[in-house]
Order: sequence, then structure tokens, then C-alpha cells
Amino acid sequence: MNDTLINQPAGEDRPRQMYVLEETGFKEVPKKFRRFYRKWGGPSDTLAPNEVLCPVCKIVIRSLQELRVGDKVYCMPCMSRLIVQEEGGRLVARVNY
Amino acid sequence: MAEWQDPHKLTEGEFLDQVHSFEFWFGTVEGYLHDRPYGFDAETEEIEMDDRRKDGLITTLCNYCIGETAALEASSGMIAFAPDRASKIFLSTQVADEGRHLEVLLHRLSMLGVRDPEREIEARANKSLLRFKERLLEFVDSRDWEAAVFAQNVILESLEFTVFRTHAQNADPITKQILQGIVIDERRHMGFGENDLGRRLILAPHTHDRLDRIKRELDSLVLTTFKQTLGELGLEGDEAPDLASDYLGAVARLGF
Repeated sequence: MNDTLINQPAGEDRPRQMYVLEETGFKEVPKKFRRFYRKWGGPSDTLAPNEVLCPVCKIVIRSLQELRVGDKVYCMPCMSRLIVQEEGGRLVARVNY
Repeated sequence: MAEWQDPHKLTEGEFLDQVHSFEFWFGTVEGYLHDRPYGFDAETEEIEMDDRRKDGLITTLCNYCIGETAALEASSGMIAFAPDRASKIFLSTQVADEGRHLEVLLHRLSMLGVRDPEREIEARANKSLLRFKERLLEFVDSRDWEAAVFAQNVILESLEFTVFRTHAQNADPITKQILQGIVIDERRHMGFGENDLGRRLILAPHTHDRLDRIKRELDSLVLTTFKQTLGELGLEGDEAPDLASDYLGAVARLGF
């Protein structure tokens, strides 16, 4: 996705990038939550810094801010609570029961 | 009222109350079932199918009906011994989903010319699936929450999720839309099961061995059924997807 990036300062301790989320056509949760999710396009689908894939139901979860290790996000389509972790140099979500 | 709400700002309690609720369910199904009587756009045209393809589809849909009936009977029975009110409310939404699935599948069978679906389902029933249904309903009758959730919401739902998704990719346009709607529902059901059991296994790790025995007994029954299903659909050999991938991912996350 190419959501609008609000700021992008440089440096390792930089504040997080913030995004304005647009609707993606995803209709599998109530209207007010729809822009926070989108369908996954398969292995060739490149995730943005504010996105992570739900390992349970394979829906892309989206955030208003760049995601970092330790962040908690929710997958509403499958009701999972997830924690962002790093694996092989990229961010992945792990289910937090 | 705000146009949107950030779900990630909810507390865990607020999140669980939200996703288990009928309000959430109404807002969700409206998105993909509105204006789709019997699960598909009424403007969709039926395609020509030769007799062999139609017969394979009928057998497949008959067995989907058995799986959905098992889930309907089990989820409605589980409401009585669900551990908390949020789970009872969620299961009542699952009952509505399973009843709808059965209805749209029966309707599809009638569109394909099946006049007596009860007799047709009995005649084409897969024995492994019938055995699975029997065991699932035994868990429900004995009010065994962990075993019933594991058998229904983890084993059955995650395998259905994969099989229906795979079938939808290769199905005629009407069956495809029906299955896509069912797959979206299955996400909630399997997610509920995995998350409920995940919490329970942390609090009561001794249940792990018992569920592992159930897993070894039951997962082969469902896998056998759905492998045969793919055969009916002509998806064999190199074309056959890894049916167990979602299921194995779920049980691996649960520590099996």
C-alpha cells in the first residue's frame, strides 16, 4: 500500500513515521475498522513499514504509525492479538494468546 | 460518530468484547453478504458444466453440507457449557454462520438439479467425515469444552478454510462467490478456537497431552476427507495444494 506518509525524519532514534490510512476495499470487519486491514496479495506482496501479516488468517494489518518490534496490534478478522517481532531482518507478527 | 476508529488503541478486554459481539458480527457480514441472496450476486450467470464435473461438484457440496451440519450442531450445543458470556455470544454468531452455510450449500445443490438433498447427502457421504462428526458431537455431549473447541474450531474450521479457499479458486462463478463468503466466516471461527485454546493451554498446560491424543485421532479423518474432496474436483497431483498448511500452522503455534 502507498498510504500518505506524514513525516519522515532521518536517524536511528528518529520518531516513527505516521500515515494517513485510505480505504482498501476490505469489507470483512465493521466499516469503522476497515481501513486498518487489507487483503494479502501473496508472497510477492511487499508490506509497507506500517503493515504486518497476520499468521493466523493471512490478512494484512495496518497501523497509523510505522511498526516496530514489541508493538501490539489486533487482527479483527480472526480475533487474534499479535506482537510485532523481527525475523530474518523483517517484521513479523506473533500470536499473543 | 467518528468515521473510523483505531482498533489497535483498544485495551485487550475492549478488543475481545468487540470481536465476540453481535454488533461486530452485524457490521462485518453486512460488508460481504449485503445484496447477495444465497451468498452470490443474482446477476451471475451459470456456466455450462459437463456431467462429470457437475457430479464431482455435487459430491463435494454434499460433504461440505455434512461438515457444516456438524459445526452447526456442535456450536449450538457448546453454548450451554461455554466458559463465559462473551464466548456464548460469539458461539451464537457462529451458529448463525453455520446455519447460513448449510442453507446456501443446499440452495446450490438445488440449482444443480438435486431434488432430494437429504438422500443425496446420505448416499455421497464420506465415511471419515461422518466418523469425525460423531466424535465431535460426543465431545459436545460430554460437555468437554477444550476437546470440542479443538475438534471444531481448530481442526475442522482450519481445514475447511483451506479447502474452501482452494476450491473457490477453481470453481464456477456461483460456487466461487458462495465459498468466498463462507471462507470469511471461517476466519472468525478458527481464530476464536486458536485464541481460546492458546489462553487455556497457558493456564492449564496439562491439557496439552489430552488434546494431542485427540489431534492424532481426528486430524487424519478430516485430512483424508478433504484429500478425497480435491480428487472429486479434479485437483490432484501437482495441482493439489498443501491442504494441511493452515492447520499445521495453527497446531504448531499452539505447541503441538
